[in-house]
Amino acid sequence: MADTMQPIDQRELMTLQHYLKEYGQQAEIFVSQLEMLENGRMEALAAIEALEGMMATEDGVVLLQIGGGASVRAKVLEPDKVMLAIGAEVVVERPNKDAIGFLKERIMEMEASQKKVAETLDRLRSQMNEINKRLEAGYQQSMAAGEE
Amino acid sequence: MFGGLKAKLHAARSRLGSSIQTVITAPGSSGTGTAPQVPVSQKESPNQSPSAPASPSIVNKVKVLLIERELIVSETDVADALSELELTLLESDVALTATDAIIAHVKKILVGKHRKIGESVDSLVVGALRAALLEVLGNGFNLLDYIRTHPRPVKILFTGVNGTGKTTTVAKIGSYLRKQGFSVVIGAGDTYRAGAIEQIGVHAERLGIKIIQHPEGGDPSAVLFDTVQYAASHKIDVVLADTAGRFHTKANLMSQLDKIKRVMKPDLVVYVDEAVAGNDAVIRAFEFDKTIGADAVILTKADMDSRGGAAISIAHTIGKPLMFIGTGQSYDDIAPFEPAQVVEELLGDS
Repeated sequence: MADTMQPIDQRELMTLQHYLKEYGQQAEIFVSQLEMLENGRMEALAAIEALEGMMATEDGVVLLQIGGGASVRAKVLEPDKVMLAIGAEVVVERPNKDAIGFLKERIMEMEASQKKVAETLDRLRSQMNEINKRLEAGYQQSMAAGEE
Repeated sequence: MFGGLKAKLHAARSRLGSSIQTVITAPGSSGTGTAPQVPVSQKESPNQSPSAPASPSIVNKVKVLLIERELIVSETDVADALSELELTLLESDVALTATDAIIAHVKKILVGKHRKIGESVDSLVVGALRAALLEVLGNGFNLLDYIRTHPRPVKILFTGVNGTGKTTTVAKIGSYLRKQGFSVVIGAGDTYRAGAIEQIGVHAERLGIKIIQHPEGGDPSAVLFDTVQYAASHKIDVVLADTAGRFHTKANLMSQLDKIKRVMKPDLVVYVDEAVAGNDAVIRAFEFDKTIGADAVILTKADMDSRGGAAISIAHTIGKPLMFIGTGQSYDDIAPFEPAQVVEELLGDS
């Protein structure tokens, strides 16, 4: 069996290690993009919940977080008028219901983007697995050659 | 690519079309009331002899009323639809100035113009949108033509913020240019980021492209100067100069970039950012252009951007053309930005 083994090329092993490192760096970027999208999605969901809650209360009183874990009771004067950042740094006033609709659309967009990023990440990971397998086989061949 | 924007533009286009259709069919409109639409025809009446007198016959009068009557779209007729289009563009992260330009152009084409009633409303609207988008997108930038018409080596310096895929883009463009028959050398000018020299080295090895490298932490100006010298002495067509990512607010890094520019004297400074950053990419490109200058822009990760805001706005906002868009992970996933093609894709029915 040892006779049929190809001599391992150390340069090939090094190149494979570089590939693995590069793919790893790319994967890190995609993971952080996924995190950003998930944060955005959760934030939009929380905003929808708050907007719906605001309309449900009779007196329009809400808990307003002011940072550091502190909150105060605040009365929303016009719960049906929502200032909404729609994109391109433009803020428009929308009725509560429309704002919720807009946020739901945004959530769908973010979910679609998450799917695409996750697919790319899966492809990268499967390529990394392949490289890992080849590296492992290369190391084993090196060790076997060393024992002889 | 830009699927979200495409869907929204279709909705806005239908709305605009409906508004104009309402004008056509509304009683007391500038046409002849509720008369059915008749296709425009330039044919002469068969009963009319070529030598007929110029004064209009009854047949001709009817023809003028039914066929050649015209429609004038007023601003109020399309105000709501244009407002909806404006919001659609803003929601897709198209910069405010670019949005304003598109709306103004569409309005200019549609409002106050005399239109034959038989003309298809949809083609009228699509034509207006197409012209407006093309105006905002500019002419693109044909890198191959640029290289062919300039003294060699053509030196291209890549700049931009961190983590947008600059190094991979340099490799992709190297591969693209090689396939077009140009010889290429890459300068590993990102001597700052750990592993950047190795990364570009791996790309270059994989693509069979010569690379000039110095040890990590070295002076990027020196690396890129050596790269230009190598290209000149080996008659290489194009120098692709990679640099470390930086924000325009970092004064020391920007002065380093200034030094690189002085030393290697690039023919083109290309700003690289990611399409998914939307309006942020447009603002950053504007700031970079103001600080260090840029001749063209490349947007990466366009395949993951459903909104398309950056791609639509960047050329109009910073006044520099979009040269390439990155559309995936492999070396071939980069395409020259063709405005006409993008507009067709956005307004097409498929």
